[in-house]
Amino acid sequence: MVQINFARKEVNCKIVYYGPGLSGKTTNLEIVHEKAPPDRKGDLTSIATEGDRTLFFDFMPLELGKVGGMNTKFQLYTVPGQVYYNATRKLVLQGADGVVFVADSQREKLEENLESFKNLEDNLREQGLDLKKLPMVMQYNKRDLPSALPVADLDKAMNKYAAPTIEAVAVTGEGVFPTLKKLASMVLDNLNKQYGVGAKPAGPPPKAGAKDGKADSGEIPKEAPPERERVGVAAGAGAGARAQTAGGGVPGEGSTPGRGKIQRESALSSAGTDAPARPAGREATGREAPLRRPEPAAGGGAPAAARGGGRGAAEKSSEIARERGEERERRGPASVGRPGGGGGSKQPQVIVAGDKKKEAAGGGPSAMVILLGIVLAIVAVLGVLWYTGILDEILGTATGGR
Amino acid sequence: MDENLRESRLIFYREDVERINRVLEEFLKLSGAKCNILIDKEGHPVTQVGTTENINLDTISALVAASFAATREMARLLGEDEFTILSHQGKKDHIQLTLIADRCIMATLFDDKTTIGMVRLYAHEASKKLNGVFRDIEERKEHPDESIAEDFGAAAKGALDDVFGG
Repeated sequence: MVQINFARKEVNCKIVYYGPGLSGKTTNLEIVHEKAPPDRKGDLTSIATEGDRTLFFDFMPLELGKVGGMNTKFQLYTVPGQVYYNATRKLVLQGADGVVFVADSQREKLEENLESFKNLEDNLREQGLDLKKLPMVMQYNKRDLPSALPVADLDKAMNKYAAPTIEAVAVTGEGVFPTLKKLASMVLDNLNKQYGVGAKPAGPPPKAGAKDGKADSGEIPKEAPPERERVGVAAGAGAGARAQTAGGGVPGEGSTPGRGKIQRESALSSAGTDAPARPAGREATGREAPLRRPEPAAGGGAPAAARGGGRGAAEKSSEIARERGEERERRGPASVGRPGGGGGSKQPQVIVAGDKKKEAAGGGPSAMVILLGIVLAIVAVLGVLWYTGILDEILGTATGGR
Repeated sequence: MDENLRESRLIFYREDVERINRVLEEFLKLSGAKCNILIDKEGHPVTQVGTTENINLDTISALVAASFAATREMARLLGEDEFTILSHQGKKDHIQLTLIADRCIMATLFDDKTTIGMVRLYAHEASKKLNGVFRDIEERKEHPDESIAEDFGAAAKGALDDVFGG
């Protein structure tokens, strides 16, 4: 829910990236963090497993700046995509003002997309929200892959709410900003309708299952379906082809991150292993091995082979993804924000549960275990942040203060 | 606290925040805590008092709200309505999270200059006062002197072009 704070002169909106596992939600946020102007972004915080799979959420604040005297901010979240994290997805989805559904365009992922979309509908319904009223953008990601379905087919299968669709290759940045810009625009339209001069604050949202026609605070009154908008990406056949996307160039390209930095806490670790675990259970469920988070130890051909041996643009994407994964691995220990940097600093406590042990048990973890792990992970992140703050104070005192 | 307050969108006007700040400051003075941050359940910071210069407010707010949401779900699975107070103890600094009016979380940071008992005692008192403030906020429907500018939407879209490229 939008928070309007006249004392702090702030308008805060929450945007959630939703979708099946490995569809590119976290990649979207990483690209936004990389490309956004330094003075407009905060830290990107990820609570993830050692295998770089989102465990609870990724979070990043983004400021539009002063608008109408109010500092307008978006809080961007991603949810964990794997099926058994539904409980945590519900928590992250609470209070969402807009949703980006990131779909994996590959033919073999269609069923997962549909399952995830239905899951989104169900979770929103539990909160009394409706996708007919909630601002949403469909992002069809991984357009560069050879098995990507035509957009028309994806629309027919998934886009029953006629939401705007944006084609993307998130790992290269294509389509990421247009997606966010489109959704942000829809959220702001909604906000303006609700809170313009003379408008009364909306009442509580209808309860789940309510049949009344009472206006919901998230409602976009419309007589006709919203305009379908497609922002296309050039077909992936040509290596190096740049997408023509509405929204033009990406601002801040090439600029170095300013005050925003990435903090990644590895909440779960598989003890004694260097390479991120590849859960056995995933194979057991018949799911394809993860594609977009290449292990640093993996050979060059592994990601491409996992995609069925695609060539050309697929290889280029996998190379970029591999480089990102390696960069993330290099950045990992020093990115937590501990002073002095480097792996010599004390690591936060982690629960040794991890993907390996969970999957060895042959099934998903219970909700209690997941929640306990999440809570401890968050406590660890909080501890590091507090620790960083204290040390800064001490250093300030040691050098003579102000 | 009723369903309406929990679910309704809250708008914080200046006088509301001033009232809240007075309660939080009194709590700090009595308990000896370092700072208090009030965060709504969606993870947006509402206000803060005390020493907060080195605190990444946005991130802390998101994490606190997420932590609270996760433990609330745990409580539900255990047959409780929710856990209204969470405490985390560090080596030097500690934090207590207190649910306020089913709508906000008060995050109190304190160190060994005080005790958790003192913090908990005064947090309970502050919570009761803040419940009253929130009840007043919820019952007031609009504030004629403060509202969003009429051209907010158009201006905001212009700002989008600045951030994302036009």
